[in-house]
Amino acid sequence: MRRIDPREAHVKPLPTPDADSQAYWDALKEGRLMLQHCRACGHKQVYPQAICRHCGAEELVLEPASGRGTVHSFSVVHRAPGPAFKQDTPYAVLLVELEEGPRMISSLMDADPMSVVFDMPVALVCDPIDGGTVLPRFRPATR
Amino acid sequence: MASSRSKLAARTLRGRAAISGAGRSAVGRVQGRSVMALASDAAKAALADAGLERGAIDGVLTSVAFAAPFHRFSVAFSEYFGIVPTFSNTLQVSGATAATMFNIAAAAVAGGLAENVLVLGADSLLTGLSPDLALRSMTESRDQQYEMPFGIPVANTFAMTAHRHMKEFGTTAEQFARVAVIHREHALRTPGAQMTEPITVDDVLNSGWVTTPYHKLDCSLISDGAAAFIVSAADRVGEFKSKPVFILGAGECYTHEHIFLMPSLTTTGAVQSSAKAYAMAGCSPKDIDVAGVYDCFTGTVIMMLEDLGFCPKGEGGRFVDDRQITYGGSIPCNTHGGLLSYAHPGMPGSLLHFLEVVQQLRGQCGERQVAGAELGLVHSLGAGFATQATTILGTEATL
Repeated sequence: MRRIDPREAHVKPLPTPDADSQAYWDALKEGRLMLQHCRACGHKQVYPQAICRHCGAEELVLEPASGRGTVHSFSVVHRAPGPAFKQDTPYAVLLVELEEGPRMISSLMDADPMSVVFDMPVALVCDPIDGGTVLPRFRPATR
Repeated sequence: MASSRSKLAARTLRGRAAISGAGRSAVGRVQGRSVMALASDAAKAALADAGLERGAIDGVLTSVAFAAPFHRFSVAFSEYFGIVPTFSNTLQVSGATAATMFNIAAAAVAGGLAENVLVLGADSLLTGLSPDLALRSMTESRDQQYEMPFGIPVANTFAMTAHRHMKEFGTTAEQFARVAVIHREHALRTPGAQMTEPITVDDVLNSGWVTTPYHKLDCSLISDGAAAFIVSAADRVGEFKSKPVFILGAGECYTHEHIFLMPSLTTTGAVQSSAKAYAMAGCSPKDIDVAGVYDCFTGTVIMMLEDLGFCPKGEGGRFVDDRQITYGGSIPCNTHGGLLSYAHPGMPGSLLHFLEVVQQLRGQCGERQVAGAELGLVHSLGAGFATQATTILGTEATL
């Protein structure tokens, strides 16, 4: 447990990559969203880690995703989770189902957040934010 | 595998531990009391209820507190309270922590680790933190790599499940709102409740968006407060001042950490946690007289009514429309008003459900009393349904 400092609460949280995830965040800087494929059982997973969550094997390789998916669920945030996100409201948090199968959390770009509907097709946008980090976000796509 | 399962089933906590004391601090907006002072108030109330001195406590289990962020809250509280326990731990499975504390306390007294375990939660989210800091602190509980950078409030994870429930089962915003209305009706009968103005379905729908499909009045409160209990070995219940309430069943389930790895957004680990608790207690959902169901959001209650087996999957909205969750219905829930209208001081929030169910089973609820309540269930959950814990409680007659 730690107490959040009021100044810190005004700064957006940035991901801190670790040994499992460094390649994932590096690939986003080059415009690619990587999925981890298990050579033993064929399982594909978000996020990268040392073992396959399905079969436990360690023969895992990163492959770029197509960047296409659909909205499995969503919620449009009007009350920000702290001061750092206040200027962004309203914004749509998306639970995207990638066409390869795995799901991930992201947020909508380039569209009215209140226009999101279930099963809406979306496409990857690699969005550079502070400190050189690139976030995998999504915009509406045509099928 | 079959034989290891049957061995597990033979090792039961049923009836081996009892709640011998229960109490709380002032709750709601409590100015001028630190987290530790609130905790102390609650612990003293629980001891007085049991008729014990503080030296009788030899075990301490607590949750953590946002406004007093000790890594070892249980140890820090013991120092503050002037006790030296020989069994202690600080538990953290978010909102499910409350029920897990009872489950582990029961196992500890049954296994001889302690005689009288203090189960305690305290926090000061309303006056000890600003609203901005309270919300940001809760958001910090999401993963820093794959969730937090997208500005995902904890509320948002629950909202996405509720949204999906609307799509899959036709559950409506009005049905969510009715959950809030019934909880407010309950709070109106409860001395000390934080919210005491009656509300209507339209009030909920017009209260402004927080995160769709949830409006402000679909969301639980932010409060101060503490609750505490003494869990004792069942063979000692004659030594206490209070009417004992026995722990009959316990179950937990942890299906995921990240919301995007939740196996289904509309069926949760409460199915498994409650099945285990019912099996241990030797009862079924229809036998339960009164329930405390974690109500961080209105839709959460609807989903839990289904997963705890009180109604079929997808029927939760209609079940609430039929007023089955209040007096005269099939399962009166959160008769004190719950997190939605009584108080939500964070981790202690679900302990207040335990306090209400214990008082119902003791017949102490006055005009809130559910007639003839003998068997109760409390279900705690947290972190976008990642953590689920169920405890079944009963009077001596249910042993």
